[in-house]
This record gives sequence, structure tokens and C-alpha cells, in this order.
Amino acid sequence: MSEAIVQHGAVATPHGGGNMRRLNLGTALLGGLVLAAISWFLAHHFLQTDEPKTSNQVTTITMVGWAVGFMIGIGAFNGPWRWMLGHDETHEDETYLAGKGQGVGRYFRFTTDHKVVGIQYLVVTMVLLGIGGTLAMLIRTDLIRPNSEFLGPQTYNAVVGLHGLCMILATIIMITGPFGNFIVPIMIGARDMAFPRLNALSLWLLVSMLPILVSAAFLGGIPTGWSGYAPLADQGPPGMNAYLIAIIIFAMSSAIAGANITTTILTMRARGMTWNRTPIFVWGVLASVGLAIPAFPMFMTSMIFLGVDRTVDGSFYVASSGGNPWLYANLFWLMGHPEVYVIVLPAVAALMELTPVFARKPLFSYTGAVLAIVGIVGLSMMVWAHHMYASGWAPDLNGPFMLTTEMISVPTGVLFLVVIGTIWRGRIWTTLPMMSTYAMLWNFIIGGVTGIYLSDVPADYDLHGSMFVTAHFHYTLMGAGLTGAIGALAYWFPKMTGRMLNQRAGFVSFWLVQIGFNVTFMGLFTVGLAGQPRRIEHYDSLFAVGNFVSTMGAYVIGVGMLILLYAVVSSWRHGAVAPANPWGGKTLEWTVPNPIPLENFEVMPVVIADPYGYGEGDPSSVHTEKERREALVGASPGSPGDTIGSRVDGDRS
Amino acid sequence: MSRAKSALGLAIAVGGGAIGVALVGLILHGSGPNASALEATVRGTAHTSQGTLTHAFLKLASYPDSMAGEHGKDGGAHPDWVSYGPSTNLHVPAHALVTVTIDQYDGGEKITNPYFAKVHGTVGNTMTVNGKVRTQSNPDTIGHTFTIHGAPTNQYPLFVSVPLPAVPDDVPVAKGSDYPKPNVVTFSFMTHGKGHYVWNCEYPCGDGYYAKFGGPMSTRGYMSGTVTVG
Amino acid sequence: MSESRSTGRPLTRRGFTSDRVYVWLHRPATRHVLLLWAVLTIALVFFAFVPARIMGPPASPTKRAVEDTMTVFSIAAAPVAAVVWSIALYSLIAWRRKGATGPDVEDGPAMRGSRSPATVVWLILSSVLCVLMLIWGLAEIQKVNASATSRDPLIVDVTGQQWVWTFSYPQEGNIESDQLYMPVNRPVVFYVHSEDVIHSFWVVQLGIKVDANPGETTKTSVLPDKIGTYDVRCAELCGLLHADMETHAHVVSASNFSGWVTATGGHV
Repeated sequence: MSEAIVQHGAVATPHGGGNMRRLNLGTALLGGLVLAAISWFLAHHFLQTDEPKTSNQVTTITMVGWAVGFMIGIGAFNGPWRWMLGHDETHEDETYLAGKGQGVGRYFRFTTDHKVVGIQYLVVTMVLLGIGGTLAMLIRTDLIRPNSEFLGPQTYNAVVGLHGLCMILATIIMITGPFGNFIVPIMIGARDMAFPRLNALSLWLLVSMLPILVSAAFLGGIPTGWSGYAPLADQGPPGMNAYLIAIIIFAMSSAIAGANITTTILTMRARGMTWNRTPIFVWGVLASVGLAIPAFPMFMTSMIFLGVDRTVDGSFYVASSGGNPWLYANLFWLMGHPEVYVIVLPAVAALMELTPVFARKPLFSYTGAVLAIVGIVGLSMMVWAHHMYASGWAPDLNGPFMLTTEMISVPTGVLFLVVIGTIWRGRIWTTLPMMSTYAMLWNFIIGGVTGIYLSDVPADYDLHGSMFVTAHFHYTLMGAGLTGAIGALAYWFPKMTGRMLNQRAGFVSFWLVQIGFNVTFMGLFTVGLAGQPRRIEHYDSLFAVGNFVSTMGAYVIGVGMLILLYAVVSSWRHGAVAPANPWGGKTLEWTVPNPIPLENFEVMPVVIADPYGYGEGDPSSVHTEKERREALVGASPGSPGDTIGSRVDGDRS
Repeated sequence: MSRAKSALGLAIAVGGGAIGVALVGLILHGSGPNASALEATVRGTAHTSQGTLTHAFLKLASYPDSMAGEHGKDGGAHPDWVSYGPSTNLHVPAHALVTVTIDQYDGGEKITNPYFAKVHGTVGNTMTVNGKVRTQSNPDTIGHTFTIHGAPTNQYPLFVSVPLPAVPDDVPVAKGSDYPKPNVVTFSFMTHGKGHYVWNCEYPCGDGYYAKFGGPMSTRGYMSGTVTVG
Repeated sequence: MSESRSTGRPLTRRGFTSDRVYVWLHRPATRHVLLLWAVLTIALVFFAFVPARIMGPPASPTKRAVEDTMTVFSIAAAPVAAVVWSIALYSLIAWRRKGATGPDVEDGPAMRGSRSPATVVWLILSSVLCVLMLIWGLAEIQKVNASATSRDPLIVDVTGQQWVWTFSYPQEGNIESDQLYMPVNRPVVFYVHSEDVIHSFWVVQLGIKVDANPGETTKTSVLPDKIGTYDVRCAELCGLLHADMETHAHVVSASNFSGWVTATGGHV
């Protein structure tokens, strides 16, 4: 309905938007600060003095006040409120909400346009990566030599916790946030997300979480590591309350975003986009958010229990009062292991999406790729206790969990096959996105193989909790995940910003980051094997060399990342103007013009083939499989060995 | 965009970023407790089982609050937290006999691990309490412990642990003081080569926190600190 | 192949496969990749012995089993990693577009791979590898457990608390120590618990680790078979001085152990 009207050129009247016209990030901050101040005053005034519980209660109430005030200030409750009063948004209101004709201002409002939300997510991701990266540099500086005492144990523990949490949150949203929101709707031929207002809600919840997260640093920090293991978390300073509120808000945000993206993908694909024509990236995003939907409530539950423990002596995790710390560990890892696939799957899927474009070949074994993603999603729910082999909880289950964990190597292996099969005999165009695929192939093999060591129960008894584990998961989450996200950013940058990413600066950054990364974490593999525990603030001189090497590598990553930041910012502002389809991709997002109009498509697209028909001629000219085959046999691609090759048997080369 | 302009942008990004990170690092570096270390006073030599060693002396006190330690007269951020004083960073010479005197002003109760009600690692595995020689203290009335330990690889595994008997709750405040008359505990231990150790209290005295090990027990400058040898 | 096309008769499976293998093997690319793969595999097999060397000399059958696992898994992973890396490397050398970059080039071969033998072979091989690793792991668990089983183990109660380890010996008159002493070649069973938060009891050179939990007692066992001084570390972040929650583990001769027990005030 609204689509039709917009198509006919209706312009938002100055009256559209109502109250939302006056609300933006400024009013949100004001609302947050005011309600936080009121909450703090009331809590401080009326609660009994019973340290440390009172501090925990005051912190919790203040944080909740901040978040509610922020969401009121941004206008998140305006829609529901008006609906309850019986007057729903008019079309003009909706168009205003979508950010029509608002210029840059729409990025600072409760804007529903999925493209605006995608860019906002990208900025939030970069902010989180920036904080986490800064803290990473400080961690490595502290560990540059034995007994450096640069930070001291208290600050070090706080820094480690905040680094881990910032990075985990950043990597969870880094694909499904920016690209899942911006690209996926266009890729499937939709005009927006299924629930545009929920989309804005998920983003602004995330923004309201950021100050809470950072405030933890000033409330004694998160001295538990990002995993917040109880009962150490029961003991921690009020920063732990900021931590748990931040995670509860994040879980709400990701549940809303997950429901929204899932619904969009399930119901709003273009005509003709059957499941076997759906781009693999869409599958990856669907798998990621689909996994997040059951996973994050576990984390949220564990945090609610922790909050009850800390504020009203709930004793969920306090053994002396009948609680059990293994409850926390189980809830945490029920989220924690699916979560690594929430991070890695869409990143690898993005690389699988762009590899055919730069190899000019169909995605090898599309069905295999889909089945592998589905298999990983299924298995990832059944492996959580491999993080608890050494915990003493249910040792009899270690064997079964070893089985499920090692089984994951099979579908993961298929993903490798898909990528190398696509590269095989391709016409490789070594752009920055494509080089990210190569970097993933290198890093993810190392991350995967070291993961297999850790899946083995006796080996894990030895290596669990050591720097080896730290290096292993950085190879997967950073080496595959973040590398995939950088590749995705470089790939979709022209579509998202209308400008080309500075290729030269991008490559300088790429090599610095990749070489620095491998140096850093090879160093940590060696000290981990030699027996250095994780998360220790100083270590004995036995580990001096590996740690020094690692710190040097980390500095190289830091410089590389800053160059990437420069490339992104400078290209965004004044990079070369990008054509609509700079890479020659076949997915739908490359069919819309730059800049992309408000509702993406003037005419709704109809899909007649999957986007990987490289070397197969024009899919619109053939109608049946038989005709398509004949057209392929008739065509004469390159070398004689390939002649008949293409469809009859050459596809098996 | 001109070459010079892009070089400037790059320099701003990399230089600015590096400076930013360094700044955050320096702020965090300075945010910890920076009380100056308490130097052991060297007075002559002592004849020990290890031969004639430098004899160094340290004087410490443990208080039921933070009004007399390194946090200033107003007690700093948490005036009601138990604390050690005058400093929690201790510096003692290498290859020396170190005699420590601790004035213990605080009350106490039952210790969770009775191992730490005994004296370990001192000369003769003894201490004196108000002049009387003891090898342990009643585990039901421990005020605090003073326990030195640390990462042992590549340095001598120094382990010294002394229980500090609690001052009974009904003892009145002494004249001219904010506290009752303290239990005076003395003990001596021998240092070997240079090394970095930590010390902390093993009596759970961070009241109200889980396992009574939060707050002052888990915050630097109260019930834990460093021992630098050499 | 051409015959079947002219007759229009479907290819027999056997003829089809052998033809295809022939064509495939005679492509220069295949041969180069195979060569690269072989070289990489050999290099990686040599590298497979590195992790165990970094882990240092083992002091128990448990640690020895762990180091063997690292080596065996590394060897098993070598050809797999080499496939991926050799194809990636070769594609960068041989199939990289030089000069004419941009989207407007001729497409590569339309290999869909939907019913490709490569997929089948890959799936079978990776499943077999997975099953072998699982069998290896289960056998290893058995072996490790068996190595430390005996009628007469030494029992040590391990207490973790913020931020020290203490050990007590119930069979030797409850003597206590801040350092761990064990006689060589006698199985040791550790009963581990915590007074406060979760710690993790790790004797690095013996290759054992189990968490110390409040309110629960966990158990691990090992057969120390080499005299020496080893490291006990805490492997679970436990608060402020986690990095300093370390001590020594001494594996000594049986007579030295008795001597230590007597000197500490216990009875053998």
C-alpha cells in the first residue's frame, strides 16, 4: 500500500512525524541522563545502607533508568503509545520515520529505513572494535615483558574483561548488523525489513547499552573476563552490575533483530527467489540470527540470575547457600558455543558470496554449502560442554561432547571445499574482498585444526585455560570472522556509501593486519603450549620471547587497523564515485542504482535463477533445464578440455 | 583528493590513533594506587643459618578501616574498608634477614582454611605475639594474615605466612588513639635472590562480599600488595 | 565420451569415472597442485612435531599421551590443510587475472559441483578422519585413566582459595604443605575443592587439570614417572592475584618422599 504511494511520488507533508520530529540522539541522551539521575537519587535515598549490596542495587537501578530514559528520549515508545491511544501512524509519519528528505540527521534519529540502520550498525560496530582494540593494545603492552606491572592486576583484569566483551559484542553484530540490515533486504528483493520499527528499536537499544558497558570501567571494572564466571562475578565490584545490565539489553536487542531478520528472509524474498536460488550470504545471515534467537536468552537468563544474586542475595550460584556455579557455566556456554557460529557463519558466508564474483565461477556445491550451514547450526547447539571438560561437571559426558564437537569438523570442512572449489580454475581478480577470502582460508584452517586439538578430552585437560585457547579462538573469531567482515565491508562499501574503498590503503592495511595477526597469535600458541595460563597479568621469564613477539605483532595489527579506519573514513568522504555494479555481481543489490532510493526498487524484481550462473549464459534466455544444458554445450568456453565440460561432465572437474 | 591531503589524513589516523591509545594507557597506568613503596630499614647484620646477612626491618599495621593507611586521613574512596599501612608496596633487600613487626588493630573470627592459622616460612617457623613465641594462632580468632607468595618459576619460591590474632571486640579504645591497643606480631624471614612477589591476607575480611574476598580484599592498596626483593 | 554423446546412450558409471579421472589428472593445473600439495604436506608433517617439543618433556603418561595426540592430529591435519592451501596458493599464482581486471572478463568454467565426486570424496575422507580422531580420543581417555589406576594411590586433598594452593595428605597424618610433593611412579589421586571462587588446578608438566569448585569436590589422577620440579598454576581467572596463584610440584624418589613426610611431621 505504502509502496504504491511512494512510487507515485508522494512527499511527506511537513506535518508527518508528529513528536518524532523533535526527538533525536540529543533528546535521548538528555532523557537517559535525567532518568538516570532521578533513579540514582531515589535509590540512593531510600535503600538501606548494606554494603556492598546497596551499591549493586543503586548501580542496577541507575543503569535501567538510563536505558529507559534513553529509549523514551529517542522516541522508541512513541509508536506503541500512539497505537494504544487509538491513533496509529499515518503514512506521512511512516515516511518521516523512514528518514525521507532528512539528510544526515536521519542517522541520529529513530529512523526505520533499513539502509540507515545498517550504516548505524556499522558505526556502532566500529566504535566497539575501536574500544576493544585500544584495550587489546594495552593488554599486549602490559604483557610485553615479565613483571612489567604496566597496568597492575586490578586494572589488567578490568581491561581484559572489557576487551573481551567489546570484541564479542562487536563481532556478533559486525555482519548481521551492518550487512544483514543494509544488504540482505535488497539482496532478497525487499523494500525494507519486515518490522522497520523493531529494526530501529534493536539498534537504539544497542546504542543505549554502549555507555552502560563503558561505565563498568569506572565502577570497578569487569574483573571476571568477558565470560563473567560465577561466583567470581558474585564477588566483583558494581561494574559487574553494569556488565549484566549491558548484556540483558544486548540480548533484547539481538532477539528483536534476530526475529526481524528471520521474518524478513522467510517471508519477503522476491518472486521466484526459491530457497535454492537464495544467495548463500542470506543463508549465512539466517543461520546466524536463527542461532542467536535460542542462544542469547540463555545468556540473558544467566545475567538475570546474577543480578538477583548480587542485589538481593539470590544465591543462584552460591554453593554455600544451595546454589551451583556449574549452573552459570552451563547457561553461559549454551549461549557461548552457538555464539561463535553466530559470529563465524555469516562472515564465512559473506566470503562465499563474494568469491564467485571475483572468480567468475558459480559457487561450488551450493547445496553442500547450505547443508553445511544447516549442519553446523544443528550441531552447535550440542557441543557447549566441551568448554567444561575440565570443570568437573559430568565427566561422563566428556566422551559424547567430544563426539559432537569433532563432528562439526565435517560440515566445516565442506565450507572449505565450497570456497576452494569455487576458486579452482577461476578467473581470480585479487581485490581486497577476494584477498580476505584467501586470508580466511589460511587463518580458519589454523583455527579449525587447533580447535580439533582442544576437542580431544585429554589434550583439553592440559590446554584448557591456557594462552593456546586464546590464540585458537582469535584465529577463528578474528582470523575468519573479522577478516570476513572486512572483506564484506570492502565488497559492499561501494553499494553502502556510493564510493569505492581506497584500494591501496586497503591493501596496506590488509597485509599489516594479516601478518601482524599471525605473528601475534603464533606467539600466543607457543606460550600456551609451554604452559602460560590465560588472563594473567604477569608471567615468568620462561614465556618472555613468545609474549614479546606477540606484542610486536599486536602493534602491527593496531597500525593496520588505523590505516583501515583511514581508508574507510577518507573513501566515505571523498573516494571515487562507484558505479552501480563495480564488481559485476549478480545478486539483486547490484541492480539498484547508487544512491539507493528510499524503498530500494522502483519495480519489484522477479528472480529466475540463482546468482551464480557464471559461464552459463543468460539465464533469462532459457526456460527449461534441457534448453539450458543445450545452450551450455553449444557455447564454446576457452580451452578445449572444457568444451562439453560445462554441464555434461566438466562441472565435475 | 591530493596526495598531500591523503598523506595528512593517514598521518592523522595512525598518529592520532596511536596517541589516543597511549593516552588511555597512561591514564590507566596512573589510575592504580601509586603510594610510594615502603623501604625496609637496614640496621647491621645478622647471623643466620645462611651465614651473615644484612638485617632489614619493616613496620606495618593492619587497621579495621582506612583512616590510617595509605589512603589519607579521610580514608579515601572507602573509609570503612579494612587496610594495611603505611604502604602496601614493600621493598626489601636481597640476601637479607627481614624482621617484620605488624601492629594488628582489627578484630576477627574463624578462618576458613586453618592452614593459615599456622606460621609458615619464617625463621624457625615461629613468630612472637606481644613478645611471646608462637607457632600458630587460635583459628577461631584470627584478625588477618600476612601471606607472601608469588609466581615461583625462575625465582626463589618465597612463601611466608603469619596469622595475626584478633583483638577482642570488647577491648576499649586506647588513650590518644582511634583504636584499641594492638597485638604486636614480629617475625623474620630470609630473602634470596631478586624477585617480585605479592602478599595478601588469607583471612576473609572483605565483609559482605561473596566469600568475604571482594572489596578491600580484591582492590589494590588495602589487603594485598607487592614485595620487591632486591 | 564422444561415443556416448553420438549414440545418446548414457555413460556407464565406470567408463565415465575413469575417463574423467584421466582428463582431470592430465590437466597441468591438477599436476601442479598435486605437487604443491605433496610438498606442503611433507613440510607440515615435519612441523607436526613442533607443538610437542614446545610443550616440553612430559613427566607422566598423561602428558605423554597429550603430546602424542598433538603430533598425531597435526600429522592427520597436514594433508587437509595442504589441500586448501595448495589450491589457494596455486590459484593466486596461475589463475590470477593479470592486467585486465574488472568485472568484464570472460567467465570461468561453469562448475556447479552439485554431484561432483570431489564433494563425495571430501565428505567421506573428512568423516573418516573425524571418526579416527574420535576413536583415538576415546582410546586415549582409557589409556590415561588406566595409567593412574592402582589399589594404593597417594591421596592428596587440594584446596584452592584466593590466591594460594594448599595440599594436605590424609594418609600421612593430614600433613599440609604449600608445595606439592609426590613420590615417583606411584599413582596420585587429587581431590580438589575451592574455598571461594572457581580455580583450576593445573600441573603443567603432568598434563592434568581440573577445576576447584566451591561446594563440590572434583577428582583427577596421574602417574608421575619422572623426578623433577614442576609448575602448579591456576588456569581459571580467580580475581586480583590470579597470576600469582602458582606453586611448585616436586616429584621425588620414594625414600625422599618418606623423608619429606617425616620432616613435615607426618607418618608414612
